[in-house]
Amino acid sequence: MKTVLSIHSLSKRYGHIQAVDQLSFQVKKGQVFGILGPNGSGKTTTLSMILSLVKPDAGSYEWFEKPPTKESRKRIGSVIENPNFYPYLSAVNNLKIVAKIKGIPYDSIEDVLNITGLYERRCSHFKTFSFGMKQRLALASALMGNPDLLILDEPTNGLDPQGIAQIRDIILQVAAQGITIILASHLLDEVQKICTDVTVLQKGKMLFSGKVSEVLAVTDCVEIGADDIGHLQKKVVELSGYKTHVVTDDKIFVYFTDSPDLSAINSFFHGNGIILSHLSVRKRTLEQHFLELLQDNQ
Amino acid sequence: MIDLLKIEFKKIATYKVFWILTGLYFLFLGLGIFMAEFILNDWVNNFNKRFPVPMPHVTLYFFPDIWQNLTFFASIRYVLIFPALVIIILITNEFTYKTIRQNIANGMSKKDFLLSKLQIIFLLSVIITLILGLVILFLGISHSDGQQMTLIMQKFWFLPGFFIQVLSYLIFAFFFGFLLRHTGLAIALFTLYTLIIEPVIYYVLKIPALQPNNISPYLPVNSVLKIVEYPAIPFLQKFMGITLQNNVTILSCGISILYASIMVGVVFWVMAKKDL
Repeated sequence: MKTVLSIHSLSKRYGHIQAVDQLSFQVKKGQVFGILGPNGSGKTTTLSMILSLVKPDAGSYEWFEKPPTKESRKRIGSVIENPNFYPYLSAVNNLKIVAKIKGIPYDSIEDVLNITGLYERRCSHFKTFSFGMKQRLALASALMGNPDLLILDEPTNGLDPQGIAQIRDIILQVAAQGITIILASHLLDEVQKICTDVTVLQKGKMLFSGKVSEVLAVTDCVEIGADDIGHLQKKVVELSGYKTHVVTDDKIFVYFTDSPDLSAINSFFHGNGIILSHLSVRKRTLEQHFLELLQDNQ
Repeated sequence: MIDLLKIEFKKIATYKVFWILTGLYFLFLGLGIFMAEFILNDWVNNFNKRFPVPMPHVTLYFFPDIWQNLTFFASIRYVLIFPALVIIILITNEFTYKTIRQNIANGMSKKDFLLSKLQIIFLLSVIITLILGLVILFLGISHSDGQQMTLIMQKFWFLPGFFIQVLSYLIFAFFFGFLLRHTGLAIALFTLYTLIIEPVIYYVLKIPALQPNNISPYLPVNSVLKIVEYPAIPFLQKFMGITLQNNVTILSCGISILYASIMVGVVFWVMAKKDL
């Protein structure tokens, strides 16, 4: 699989805030790659750096296995933060500017306007558009000239449910055509519904990276407790199907790769001479899971 | 190169503010040019009523002086500020609407972006100069008789001088736009500096006690204005004790070009360093 983007220890500091901290990851051709993180976790800064808008303090990145140039950006369709257009120009004229910059013919304008359902309003000024239409125009502009890669930063932010559904449908259509997509979002279910791969960011650092099905898999968590927490902690890692654990004052939260089997856990500890004072399963929602992932790393 | 201009054309082709401000410049310029002689002669008439020694009527539109007169009126700072505001707005809009970010993300380099603005500045300066040149030829030919026609090109060099004036002035605007980035701030400071602050500094520096070696001609806006310093009106010489120029002030051309080059250099340097 060809590498579309590779990032090597990118860092950016704003005053005393480390916006992006030694971030490295790779995006392969055909992936729908999610960058997931709460607001202020460095998603937009990262995207701004790889689009040459912001200079990294350290680190480097490559597009299509080559050092970045303006030519590589011409192959990328991007929506950064908000839809950025000239409010006093019509949708068509705004797209013509994009076509001129990318060096592609005007032919593709009609296509992208149709895909995003804006063809009827093509001659209206951008400032007369509703927010949902503005987002769709941004998507239309990103889709011009069949890009090799789409970069979408919070594409559904601030939209009503109908607008969100429209945008997601378009993204899924595009993804189905095999176009690589990088999607930054703070919405867990958005990433889960759309993406194949994900990197989770917090305070500019990467927490996890991997397949969405693995990283964001919602397995139940088992709470265990014993008089000697220290001893318990040593043995926890030997449990079958063990993934990770978190220690609190009097309990340990254990995460498994599969659904946990309570009786197997109980007999395992019993066999190791530990009497559990507490053993229970915690059902978790996706949001809880995500918050826990973030908390574990604070 | 042409591609960059085409992008810039798309940005202004249907932008009303651009056309209104550019239109206003030509309107004020036209009014100024056609009213100047009338206003001056009205003043001369009033003067002649009160004083025994009559002054001759002013004629602005004869060759070769028309080159000097019209380029002077067209380059008064209150008139030249219109195209300068147009340039500031075109530049700061890109920051206000974050379209500069999108332009770069879409595949322009920062250098391309700056060059596209410099090209539109160059083109606007050429167009303004050409239009003024045509007005001069039209007015001059319709006013002058055969004898003056032989001198038609004598003061032609005021027109290229005017071109340097417009170009430098617009590059000052370019400088304010890219360094300040906010429309209101850039317009306010540019207007304040060119119309108030520099004239004040100019007159303070002219006080011999304060400044024995008068460096006031070397101020940026002043060097631009000094390229065509006075209209060719003889009584000015008599009353104000000034020496009328017969050609553009070459030194001022050089200073203006130097200032403009430094400003362009600073903008390229700052833009290369600063994030968008």
